[in-house]
Amino acid sequence: MLQAINLHKKFKTKEVVRQVNMQLEAGESVGLIGPNGAGKSTTISMLSSLIIPTSGDVEWQGASITKNPESLRKVLGIVPQEIALYPELSARENLAFFGRIYGLKGPTLNERIEEVLQKIGLTDRQKDIVKTFSGGMKRRLNIGAALLHKPSILIMDEPTVGIDPQSRAYILDTVKQLVEEGMTLLYTSHYMEEVELLCDKIYIMDQGAIIAYGTKDELKSLVSDNQTIELKARILSTIFESALIDQFPKATVRKEEDLLTITMPKSEEPLATIFAIAANNDVMITSAIVKIPTLEDVFLNLTGRALRD
Amino acid sequence: MLFSLIGKQIKMLIRNKQPLIILLVMPIVLITILSLALAGIMDNGAEEAIQARLVLVDESTWEQEKVTIQEFLEKEGITGPPLEALLTQIENNNPIQILENNILASNEIEKYISVEHKQPKDLDTIRQDKEVDGILTVRPSFRLNYVKSAYFDKKVEPNLDLYLSQENEIRASIIQSVISEWQYGFTQSLALSKAGLSIEEVMENTKRVEKVEQVLEDHEREIPSSIYYTVGMLVMFALYVPAFLAGFALQEVQWKVYDRIILAGISSTLYALSIFITGTLVALVQQIIMLSYGKFALKIEWIGLEGMIDIVLSYSVFVGGLAALLTTLQFRSKSDGILNAFTGFIVSIFAFLGGSFINIGDISETLANIGDFTPNGAAMTAILSIQKGQEIAVIWPYMAVLYGYVSLCVLLAIVLFPRRGVTV
Repeated sequence: MLQAINLHKKFKTKEVVRQVNMQLEAGESVGLIGPNGAGKSTTISMLSSLIIPTSGDVEWQGASITKNPESLRKVLGIVPQEIALYPELSARENLAFFGRIYGLKGPTLNERIEEVLQKIGLTDRQKDIVKTFSGGMKRRLNIGAALLHKPSILIMDEPTVGIDPQSRAYILDTVKQLVEEGMTLLYTSHYMEEVELLCDKIYIMDQGAIIAYGTKDELKSLVSDNQTIELKARILSTIFESALIDQFPKATVRKEEDLLTITMPKSEEPLATIFAIAANNDVMITSAIVKIPTLEDVFLNLTGRALRD
Repeated sequence: MLFSLIGKQIKMLIRNKQPLIILLVMPIVLITILSLALAGIMDNGAEEAIQARLVLVDESTWEQEKVTIQEFLEKEGITGPPLEALLTQIENNNPIQILENNILASNEIEKYISVEHKQPKDLDTIRQDKEVDGILTVRPSFRLNYVKSAYFDKKVEPNLDLYLSQENEIRASIIQSVISEWQYGFTQSLALSKAGLSIEEVMENTKRVEKVEQVLEDHEREIPSSIYYTVGMLVMFALYVPAFLAGFALQEVQWKVYDRIILAGISSTLYALSIFITGTLVALVQQIIMLSYGKFALKIEWIGLEGMIDIVLSYSVFVGGLAALLTTLQFRSKSDGILNAFTGFIVSIFAFLGGSFINIGDISETLANIGDFTPNGAAMTAILSIQKGQEIAVIWPYMAVLYGYVSLCVLLAIVLFPRRGVTV
């Protein structure tokens, strides 16, 4: 288990991280979200033993890593936000170098390189120089370089920044697969949907502090217990509105031109009923959107600011 | 691990155009331009080749003298087979034969003296030729007179004329030393041959080579512009090796590759050591390329191999140490400010004081003395001293300066190198 206990980091007079407590259990996938400058990268650097906290501690398997980081480093894979690769070397040369510095050599090294290249989908481009790669390919190789020594904990810092949707989907699939294979994951991003897709537990960070944590549902429940349904139809009659209110007495219905917004408790499963009522009242629904609160809404609710501000 | 780090750093250097241009192309271009442009001012007619040109003018030949020698021997009562045997021995062992076939044709002497044969009628023309360093004229009856004095103790002297040119003192001295030794040898042989010692044994080569080397040591060789600027650019551009390596190291930090290296368990000491060794190797290769360019393209004859190896190796070690120190300072400052100051200011000052562009001693003796305390200045003065033909002992004070800098760089790098990760 990797644990951050009251982590605090000050650069000169600036407090970058304040009293952060986090916990990663084996096989767990944990998300750390927050806007740029929230202190995520500094927290990750302290968790991975690269910088020493001003106060507080990081414990791996119950022992402090501040003075003895080697035991953690052996099992840790890091995917930094930057493309931590040598652009003048080929993909294979990069992997070979990172493999060698972890002590891999000979057939074992070659075998691992092949496995990793296959996992990140770059087998065909292994001999190409990295600087000729697209952003997505570089990101994939950036992940590959962290996987060579078969780490049991993977820390990924914004691994999909600035890439096309296709590469992003590929990376997310790869990470999901790693999680399914039992990898312990700490994933930071300001893309909420990525964290929602990959992580069981989420920490929300702002201005150097953890402002909330829990499962997705636990966090969303902080915002609201209601759900919102937006309906569009060719002709919206008042009879249809009345029928809906009769059927869902706890709901509130608001009409704006051809848009009908219904707010009701999350516990109800309304869509089938709504379509049945529409059919009985000769209303042709053209679109129906069930709006569930997002982590973005949670952040907005907690800080009063949007996550990407 | 260490080899992986060194190999990666060398690959980064090789695969970037800018380092290749600055470390190799620029110095070669500058060496060529400065050597040619300033040859008229610096060379003063001095030639860098130390091979002397000797013209041998034999006013007689064995065939011409054989008849008179045979007549003399018959007169002395030697006939039949003993006469034939003695004639054969004289033909093979007379001093001219030994000079041409054994001494001047030997590998050791051939390096220092090239020989041409000319006719007596060409003597006047040859004397006008400023490229000729010496003319040895063998007078008629030389062989006969030698036989008379060597075998029959007659009071006649075999006559030779040695003309030495005043154009190049070193080359003339080389010829003089070899011919004097040869003359001394065959004069001795006149006496020793009677004691049963063969003339060849008396006139063995070793002493003559020593004499030539002594001549080279006694005379300072003129330093032409090609040697001056090859050395000047070599020591100056080697200073860019640490700049590139430290620049790459800072990039590694900025790209977070350094974090990966540290997380992989590579100690900061091993990383700094890899920079030190890479710097040393790259500087060594760079200097070898520059010296080879001088040798093959500019026809420079590098002399004093032992001293040159000592200096080039020591300067390479200094470059390695400087690379480790610059990397350390960059990691400490977390910016390329120090690197910019080094390449933009310090290298220029060092190059000026060290004399890479002009002989600073021509401007000020004090500045030249200060220049000898810069690492590049010390290396340059040491190399030029060796190239002037001075003894190897002359380089030791400069080596002390270099190793002083090496110690300082390494010590500071050890003390200041960040032990943990570096954040930017």
